[in-house]
Amino acid sequence: MIRFVVVFIVVTVALFAAELTPPVQRMLVAPWTSELARLSADLVTLFDPHVVASDKVLRSTRNGFAVSIEAGCNGIEASLILIAAIVAFPAPWLHRIAGISVGLVAVQALNIVRVVSLFYLGQWSLAAFEWAHLYVWQALIMLDALIVWLVWLRRLPPTKPALQPHAA
Amino acid sequence: MPREGLGAFVLRTFLWLPLCLGAWYLVAGFHGLLAGWLAGPLAGAFSPGLVTGVELQGRELEFVTRLTTRTASGETGVLVLEVNPLIYTYGLAFFLALMLAARPRFGSIVAGAVALLPFQAWGIAFDLLVQVGVRLGPDVAAQARIGGWEHEAIALGYQLGTLIVPPIVPVLLWAGLNRAFLEHVLRSRGP
Repeated sequence: MIRFVVVFIVVTVALFAAELTPPVQRMLVAPWTSELARLSADLVTLFDPHVVASDKVLRSTRNGFAVSIEAGCNGIEASLILIAAIVAFPAPWLHRIAGISVGLVAVQALNIVRVVSLFYLGQWSLAAFEWAHLYVWQALIMLDALIVWLVWLRRLPPTKPALQPHAA
Repeated sequence: MPREGLGAFVLRTFLWLPLCLGAWYLVAGFHGLLAGWLAGPLAGAFSPGLVTGVELQGRELEFVTRLTTRTASGETGVLVLEVNPLIYTYGLAFFLALMLAARPRFGSIVAGAVALLPFQAWGIAFDLLVQVGVRLGPDVAAQARIGGWEHEAIALGYQLGTLIVPPIVPVLLWAGLNRAFLEHVLRSRGP
């Protein structure tokens, strides 16, 4: 447990510090955040044609309301935490890669739900938007990452029993 | 500790979460004040004696500092900084929901809630330090004797305290206090 916590914290802080560097922001974070806005807009336009995405902003052409996807709302931090939790737990690398791949899709899929829900919640009530944005969705995204990690743990192959010396 | 499936635990967490968020919000001001009292000395590690008092205004915290500020008309006053502690303390509701879903002993819940406080104070302390060391300009930063490498350390501490620590620590505490549950998950592993 102690080894897991130490590796988890070290990997989390290392990944997070790397995320904050200008090259990673420029090459990964900013493009992904723009893509997230575009994906959210594509999804929303299936039932609401009055929505456009521009860079990291999702905007209603009907009433002008817009949300800007900022750090903490692009699902990257939750993704990094999930990666760190999977890397820190002793498991075959193939299982780790599979867990990270499926986990990132799960976290980002729920994050799109977060962006879309906040977009409409903000048009209905700014107070509700603030509450959901600052407190509720933060917990839900982390709960999502925790569930993915627990499911991944359960799908790991059973550990083999230690080899017993053969009697002569 | 439950021996039923992971699904039941997840369902119970989803059921407890809105109740815990509501209960937390009712006491969020006073709970934030507890974290605020710890945040003053923490901020003092970067700027000794920075905070001279903490007051609760609704659910916001007001930190009275030793720093002064000059108005446009030339008057000098004490710098008072506002922090919304809820951004850093919502993890209490998340922690309570996870704990109640795992049905541990009452003492574990209380111990975990207390253990969360220093981490919540971290977020509040770095919020203060970012205001003083970065946002309010070089004059205020110089009064607070914050400069050089401390700007970078404060920026990293603030980002960690805002984006990483509030959601992670409740989960780590829950995992530490419910090892039997995790072992149960591990024992049932296999495709």
